[in-house]
Amino acid sequence: MTQWTVLYRKEMMEMVRNYKFLWIPIIFILLGVMQPVSSYYMPEILDTFGGLPEGTILEMPTPTGAEVLMKVLSIYGMLGVLILVLSAMGVVSAERQSGVAGMVMIKPVPYSSYILSKWAGLLTITLISLFIGYVASWYYTSLLIETVAFERIFQSGVIYSIWLVFVVTLTLFFSTIMKGNGSVAFVTIFVVFAISTVTSILGKYMKWSPATMTEHTGQVLLSGELNSSFLLAFITTIAILIVILISSIQIFKQKELLE
Amino acid sequence: MELLKASDLVKRFGNTNAVKGINFHIEEGRCVSLLGPNGAGKTTTLKMLSGLLKPTSGSIDFKGEKAKDLRKFIGYLPQYPAFYNWMSGKEFLVFIGQLAKLNRKEAEKRSEELLERVGLTNAKKRKIGGYSGGMKQRLGLAQALIHRPKLLILDEPVSALDPLGRREVLDMMREIKEETTILFSTHVLHDAEEISDDILIMHAGEIAISGSLGSVMEEYRQPILQIEFESQAADWLKSIASYSFVSEVNIQGNKASIVLKDMVNGKQILLKDIVDRKLPIRKFEISQTTLEDLFMKVVKA
Repeated sequence: MTQWTVLYRKEMMEMVRNYKFLWIPIIFILLGVMQPVSSYYMPEILDTFGGLPEGTILEMPTPTGAEVLMKVLSIYGMLGVLILVLSAMGVVSAERQSGVAGMVMIKPVPYSSYILSKWAGLLTITLISLFIGYVASWYYTSLLIETVAFERIFQSGVIYSIWLVFVVTLTLFFSTIMKGNGSVAFVTIFVVFAISTVTSILGKYMKWSPATMTEHTGQVLLSGELNSSFLLAFITTIAILIVILISSIQIFKQKELLE
Repeated sequence: MELLKASDLVKRFGNTNAVKGINFHIEEGRCVSLLGPNGAGKTTTLKMLSGLLKPTSGSIDFKGEKAKDLRKFIGYLPQYPAFYNWMSGKEFLVFIGQLAKLNRKEAEKRSEELLERVGLTNAKKRKIGGYSGGMKQRLGLAQALIHRPKLLILDEPVSALDPLGRREVLDMMREIKEETTILFSTHVLHDAEEISDDILIMHAGEIAISGSLGSVMEEYRQPILQIEFESQAADWLKSIASYSFVSEVNIQGNKASIVLKDMVNGKQILLKDIVDRKLPIRKFEISQTTLEDLFMKVVKA
């Protein structure tokens, strides 16, 4: 067994023991199910709590299944990102702070194995949570509203996961270069927010931005077809990911472990 | 045989030189202690030897060759060992063993062996979070030994322990000494005197004294006179500094240690002085300087 596998298994074991494998998917399921349920019951909810005058006729257009799922993804884009960043912020920094990173690196472990095992661990929890939550959301949507072709769900889920992978990779990077968990989370969220905002404001010039993944997701969900600029965004996102990972490894090498 | 040789090792942090170009070597099979006050650069030196810290300049040769990655030859116990507190002692050792390139079976077997050896067999299934300081130190020793390193480096292995834990770790080190080369840092001089073969004394980033314990003691040993008074006698002690045969007077409360150039005449004159002045003394002893005296001399110089 390579050292990478040993480290990856340790990441998995840690997430099982501290219940991350339980509560992060549960949060994604809850966030995903809430949207179709609340869209479906909206007239009743308004009726009960709205305090509308007698005789008001509520006529709400029922959203299409694709619209509901798009809302789910936009919730994942805010709360889901927040949860993922907060749960991943200490991935390297906490181990450096406690000194256990030094205990690992004192053995002949390649620096890349350490960082890449962390990355793989984050990817695993992110992808599992997203897919379970998204499928649960799809199930409730088809139950209550209308069925969306699973093919579209799958495609949009894959495209959306690229954006979340980008977010957790960024968290890993900041966790490597900074020490305080709080500042890692703050800076990561700030950067993610900045990228999203700049991308939506300067849409014309930002067709390469990783944040356009969210737009492409919506496109696939609604029309089933990919925008032509997807390939460009995909390639630059992968390139940025590689650069971030390589610099994380290089920076980690220079850090003084065991203080 | 020479196991490890450090040549012109320098480590600079910003503007401060933590280690200023040191040269030394470690013979195979010896137990070497690295002494020095806090801030002398001991830990920095050990980290460079362990491969965890890159020297600013200088080189480290292992068995006569420039080693690229020293980590596989070295077992290292940091001053404050840290663990995954959610793992059990056994799990941690197996994990570390596999990182040190043992296969799963070997790692399991070696972990059991070491747990037995450091007396943690009964606690092997407990979470490390619940271990006491002494138990963590012993687990740290076990993880350092897991891949049968050629050189075991221990950073202040006993400083944080109570007398009982200290005794345990020292006894273990004495056993380990039979199998592998040990380099450990300490500021407890008594421990160094007790188990080491060679000593290195560092001060302000430089090596002040090095050699085998016996030869260093031999070379720097001086006869001294130790006098203990019933009350303070500072006035008289200050006055004797003017005698030509007195080279140094150290006063610590009611005790004084006096280094003499000429023991035979010196002690006569001083004793006569004490009698004449009716100074109340409790003890008047002729002895040799200890490692502690030598250490103090180096550090204060």
